[in-house]
Amino acid sequence: MPRIQLLVVQPTPFCNIDCRYCYLPDRTNKAVVAEATLTNLFSQVFASGWVRDGVTIVWHAGEPMVLPIDFYRRAFRLIDGLKPADLSLTHSFQTNGTLIDDAWCEFFAAEQISVGVSIDGPQPLHDINRRTRSGNGTFVRTIAGIRRLRRHGVPFHVISVLSPESLAAPREMFEFYVDEGIERVCFNVEESEGGHVSRSFGEAGIADSYYRFLREFWRLAAASPDKFAFIREIDEATQQVLRPEEAVFFNQLVEPFAITSMDWAGNLATFSPELLGLKNAAYDNFIIGNINRDRLIDLPQQPVLKKMLADITAGVELCRQHCEYFSVCGGGEPVNKLAENGTFVSADTTYCRMSKMRATDLVLDLLDGVEQRGAVLSEEGIRQLGAVVIASDSNDAAVPFA
Amino acid sequence: MSLRQKYREIVAKLMTPGAIGMAVLLGSAAPGAASQEPAGQQPSSAQGERVSERLAAIREAVSAVAGAQDATTDAAGETRLAWGNWGGGFGFGLPWGNFGGGGPWNNWNNWRNGWHNWHNGWGNW
Repeated sequence: MPRIQLLVVQPTPFCNIDCRYCYLPDRTNKAVVAEATLTNLFSQVFASGWVRDGVTIVWHAGEPMVLPIDFYRRAFRLIDGLKPADLSLTHSFQTNGTLIDDAWCEFFAAEQISVGVSIDGPQPLHDINRRTRSGNGTFVRTIAGIRRLRRHGVPFHVISVLSPESLAAPREMFEFYVDEGIERVCFNVEESEGGHVSRSFGEAGIADSYYRFLREFWRLAAASPDKFAFIREIDEATQQVLRPEEAVFFNQLVEPFAITSMDWAGNLATFSPELLGLKNAAYDNFIIGNINRDRLIDLPQQPVLKKMLADITAGVELCRQHCEYFSVCGGGEPVNKLAENGTFVSADTTYCRMSKMRATDLVLDLLDGVEQRGAVLSEEGIRQLGAVVIASDSNDAAVPFA
Repeated sequence: MSLRQKYREIVAKLMTPGAIGMAVLLGSAAPGAASQEPAGQQPSSAQGERVSERLAAIREAVSAVAGAQDATTDAAGETRLAWGNWGGGFGFGLPWGNFGGGGPWNNWNNWRNGWHNWHNGWGNW
C-alpha cells in the first residue's frame, strides 16, 4: 500500500514575482483551487489509509500568499473536518516573503504553520535572480517580511539558491544570516529543470565550487555553533554518512505517492514535486490522474504511473550498480535525470555530483582531517568547542585537538 | 591501520559524551579559507579507498561505538546514551532515530523545503 508522507498543494499557479531561474511555466495564471477540489483531495487521502504516521501539507505554488488569509482559514477548517482525530498534520508554506505582514504573522502563529522563505543572501546576491516582472530586485520586501516574522516570534527557515556569485561568497552569506538572526538555512543549487537551463551547471568546476562553499560555510558555522539551529546540507550530509549501519534508508523521490502533488485544477503527480506543471508527451505531462475525476486508490493502476515507475526504477538500478555514493542518495532525483540526461533511465547528473557527491566527499575529508590534524581529539576541547571563536582567516586556534 | 579501525577511532572521539553536534565538531576540522586547495584538485574520492568502502566502514564504526556506549552506560546504571540524545548536526536533537522510522525528509533533494516531520519550529514535535 502506498504511503503518503508529504502532500504538496498548489492553491494557485500565480506568482507575484518573476525569478530568473524559475522553471514553472504557468506562473502568470491567476486560477485558484476550488474548495470542492480540496474536499475531494483530503477526503480521499484520509479514507485511503495511505497516511499513517502523520503528514505534512506544503502550500506551494506560485506564491501561496497571493491568496487571502481567509482562503486558508476556510481550507484548514475544511481539512480539520475531514481529518481523523488521531492523525498528526502539519501545514507548511513556502513563500518569497514579499507579502508577509502582521496579519499573516498572527495567522502563522495561531495555526503553528511552518514557514519557509526564499532568500538568496544579501541584497547584491539576492537581486541577481529574484526580481519582479518589471526587473526590480525583491530583497527589500523579502527581508522586511523576515524581520517581521522575527518580531512576531514566528519560527522560519530560509532556502537560498546558490548562484555562481554566491558560491564564491561563503563568508558574505554566513554574515548575512548571522546579522539577520536567520538560524535555519537550506541551500539549493540552481538546477536545470523543465525549460530552465541552469547558469551554474554551465560553469566549469561548479561541483568543486560547491564543495569549497560548503566547507568554508561549515567552518564558519562551527566557530559559532550558537548561531544556527539547522543547516540542511551540512546536517543531512553528516547524518547520511555517519549513520548506523542498521539504519533504514528511504528515497521518497522514487517511491510512488510518498510525495504527492496536486495543482489548482486537481491534477495529481508524484515522485519529484517539480514534475507537476512540466510538459512531456511521453509521460502525459506527468499527470497520473485528477482528483475531481479519478479515485485516488485507483491511481496506482494508471498506465502512465506504471511507465514512469518502471523507468525511474531502472534508473535507480543504474545508480545502485555504478555509483559509489548510492547509499547516501538512494538513486537520485528523477526530475534532474530527465532534465539533464533526457531520460529517467540514467544515473548521475551535475545536480547529484554537486549536492550529493561533493557533500559526501566533504564529510569524508573532514573525518580524515580529524585524523590528520593531530590524530587525537581532546575531550575537554570538544566540550568547550561551542565557546571557541575562530580567527577570521585561520581555524588553527579553534580546532579542539590535543 | 585498517579502514574499520581508523574510523572506529575517529567516530569514538566524535561521540564523546557531552559533545555538541557532530557537524560542529567536523566543521572545526575544516581548513581555513587561506588554505584552499588549488582549483581543480579532486577531493576525497581520488584518495585510494573506494567511497562505498569508506562509507560502509564508517557506518559499521558508528554502530559499534554506539553499541559499546549503550552497554557501558547501562551497566553503570546511568542514563542510557540513546541515539536520540545525539545531535547529528547543527540541529541539536535531530535524532538518529529518524532513520529507523524510514521516513525522514532528508532525501528530498533540492526541492526540499527544509521542513522535517520531526521539527516544525514550534516545539510541538
